[in-house]
Amino acid sequence: MRQPVPLAAALSLLLALGLVLAPGPGTAQAPRSGGVLVTSPLSATPSLSPHEESTIATVQQASPCFNNLVYYDPMKKVESVDTIIPELAEKWSWQDNYRNLVFFLRKDVKWHDGKPFTSQDVKYTFDMVRGAPDAKARLKVNPRKLWYEAVEAIEAPDAYTVVFRLKHPQPSLLLMLASGYSPVYPAHVPLAEFKNKCIGTGPFKLKDNKPGELVEYVRNPDYFVKGRPYLDGIKFVIIRDRSTQIAALQSGQLDVGGSGWNKTNAENAKNGAPKLTIVEADSNVNDNVLVNFKKAPFNDVRVRRAINLALDRKAYLIGPRQGAATFGGALLPRPAGMWGLPAAEVAKLPGMADPKQQKAEARKLLAEAGFTAANPLKMVVSTRALAIYVDTASWMVDQLEQVGVQATLEQIETGVWHPKMTRLEYQVALNLTGVGIDDPDAQLFENYHCGSQRNFSGYCSEEIDKLMAQQSQTLDRAKRLALVNEIDRKLQADGARPILGWGKQYYVHWPHVKNWAVHENSIYNVSRRQDVWLDK
Amino acid sequence: MRTYVAKRLAIAGVTLLGMSLLLFVLMRLAPGNITDIIFESAGYVDEADRHRLEAELGIDKPLVVQYGRWLGDLVRGELGKSYRYDLPAWEVIKPRLPVTLELAVLAMGFSVLLGVPFGVISAVRRGRPLDYALRVVSLAGLSMPAFWLAMVIILTLVRSVGWIPSMTYVSPFDDLRANLVQFLLPALAVGYRSSALIMRITRSTMLEVLREDYIRTAWAKGQREALVVWRHALKNASLPVVTLIGIEFAFLIGGLVVTETVFNLPGVARYLVDAIQFRDYPIVQNLAMLIAVVVVLANLAVDVLYTWLDPRIKYGSA
Repeated sequence: MRQPVPLAAALSLLLALGLVLAPGPGTAQAPRSGGVLVTSPLSATPSLSPHEESTIATVQQASPCFNNLVYYDPMKKVESVDTIIPELAEKWSWQDNYRNLVFFLRKDVKWHDGKPFTSQDVKYTFDMVRGAPDAKARLKVNPRKLWYEAVEAIEAPDAYTVVFRLKHPQPSLLLMLASGYSPVYPAHVPLAEFKNKCIGTGPFKLKDNKPGELVEYVRNPDYFVKGRPYLDGIKFVIIRDRSTQIAALQSGQLDVGGSGWNKTNAENAKNGAPKLTIVEADSNVNDNVLVNFKKAPFNDVRVRRAINLALDRKAYLIGPRQGAATFGGALLPRPAGMWGLPAAEVAKLPGMADPKQQKAEARKLLAEAGFTAANPLKMVVSTRALAIYVDTASWMVDQLEQVGVQATLEQIETGVWHPKMTRLEYQVALNLTGVGIDDPDAQLFENYHCGSQRNFSGYCSEEIDKLMAQQSQTLDRAKRLALVNEIDRKLQADGARPILGWGKQYYVHWPHVKNWAVHENSIYNVSRRQDVWLDK
Repeated sequence: MRTYVAKRLAIAGVTLLGMSLLLFVLMRLAPGNITDIIFESAGYVDEADRHRLEAELGIDKPLVVQYGRWLGDLVRGELGKSYRYDLPAWEVIKPRLPVTLELAVLAMGFSVLLGVPFGVISAVRRGRPLDYALRVVSLAGLSMPAFWLAMVIILTLVRSVGWIPSMTYVSPFDDLRANLVQFLLPALAVGYRSSALIMRITRSTMLEVLREDYIRTAWAKGQREALVVWRHALKNASLPVVTLIGIEFAFLIGGLVVTETVFNLPGVARYLVDAIQFRDYPIVQNLAMLIAVVVVLANLAVDVLYTWLDPRIKYGSA
């Protein structure tokens, strides 16, 4: 009975200390333009070189330093070919029936070290990224080499013109070049320097980079877009603990928070500080089930279908996703996505119908495959040891047990998660996949193509591979959409990486933060932040 | 005494050598290495590139060679390069050391400043309300994990006053007041548990000492309570307390990992966990060795302190 007394006393002491030592409330008002925005990214970035990394954390923290040839308009919520705006390229033109993509570059651009930007920088960057034999630099890690496989040569006929010559038409190339993963690097700066430094042409210049602690930028006074950026600087503070991130936002130490937050986190933040604004948007990150095609009995289509049917999607939405997801196939569903299956078809996907009926069907299929109550299917459900993964994987275990499967959960440390998936050292796994751009080329080749290193389920279909190549070269958008939908239907029927749902993203910011743009169909292409300003 | 210290240093050397071997083996037993993590998380693995990077980092060599190289580098004072950040390991570790050191020293300071006096008061006022109150405080300290207390502090502060300590590190050389504001609460969160332990040990040893004949004699001679308790009794009761402080200082690092994370302090404890996740061998090995050295030296310092506290202890003749 007396135990609460010392706790209360201790807390009172802490509060008193806090009150005595806390800085006073009177902080100077910043002007409407200017000011430094403080935010917390998803995590520390391993480097400031987007071409060598595969995490949104790098895109968030490096994008203010760089520019692309073209970029997605931050103010347009849904990215598409129609929302691409010029950056380093003033204009561009497809020629020779989408075999040549010509960029005409700006002539008033300088790198942060004062050197002029020219077409040689573009050629240097994309020769390096596509792994051209005569490239002047070589990336140690080249995650998006696949994106540029159709590029045969890059030519720089003069200082301000660049031509991408393609082996075959590929309309998606322009979309890939607009991604946050496609900035232009300076040819005169050694690649190794981007591990910890950044010389770009972007709206902000790197002021300080303390690896694992903070990345700080100041306004680039020579930025080629007149009047931008509005901010005097941006500070990315690495805060690992989610509760601390929320507290930092509520206390006003952060202007914006939310990277990697779920709905509950966002609502908790607002409950503690009602003036905060929550931004909810779709995202191109999906929860997917990896069923190992190379391991028995999961190579049996009946077992795969039973697993797919057992996972009641509506329960997933209510449970682990807390109402914050949309249903779809392999491509982000409409209206946020450009290439998803029609809603009527999504409603008929496995796991979407009456759960009792679907679970009964799952039991029947398992019985046909030889798994009964006397001889139950035993499986390990692997997942990454992060809360956002474990919550859904735990729910999966429960759902599978409801159809008589004896499932156990295996949490895998982040450091060995991808190696284990790449080597197919699992039976069934719960995975999260984010796609750089909402485009079939980026999504399908990476995750479903035979032999792709991110095809973690080991799925392989020659027919699908052919259709993928066909859609990639189809210039008519309507025809391409029809092809993409056909691929998606087949993928769902094959149980190739069943999609549980597409999660929503949350950002929470104070009302004084203006123009903090969020895109509905990608989290990767909106981090330049040159239009953000502070109304305080 | 000199012979004793020399002997202890020699034993410490052997201990550290064993520690280095253990560390090295444990790190290699963990599945995967930095190249696995870098390449496979990128989703694109060019085997030639991977082998090139392994050669560049020296992790393609036989384990014996790798271990020998590391020891040789340690002897020369070279700590190698962080695989993850491509920076000299010392450059990565150096700015983080003062953060952890300050937190550890402040936490120990709290522990001793709260634990010893409260333990003495509790013993002297045995069976009275103050004794019961202090015992409850100490029991609460032992029951509350540092990470939970840290979280409660943060949440209580933000909910009640809308303020929490700075999330970016403030150096004491830049702004001492702001630095202390930033460190006091985390130090209290870490130090509370230790202070509770110290309080209990101090109380029990003081109770024993207060029953000794020489204390009774001092009371009989009419000496003042302060003199009897703080000078005669406490000095003789302090041997186990000093031992405990030494051990606690060594174990403090475990509590610091979480506290540094919750209060977002860029210290070595938190960084060590990151480095383990990324298999950043030079950082993990050298940091862990640094911690081992601190533990060994803390224990040695405690032993040396014994001779000052109790002149009857003669290490040289043992």
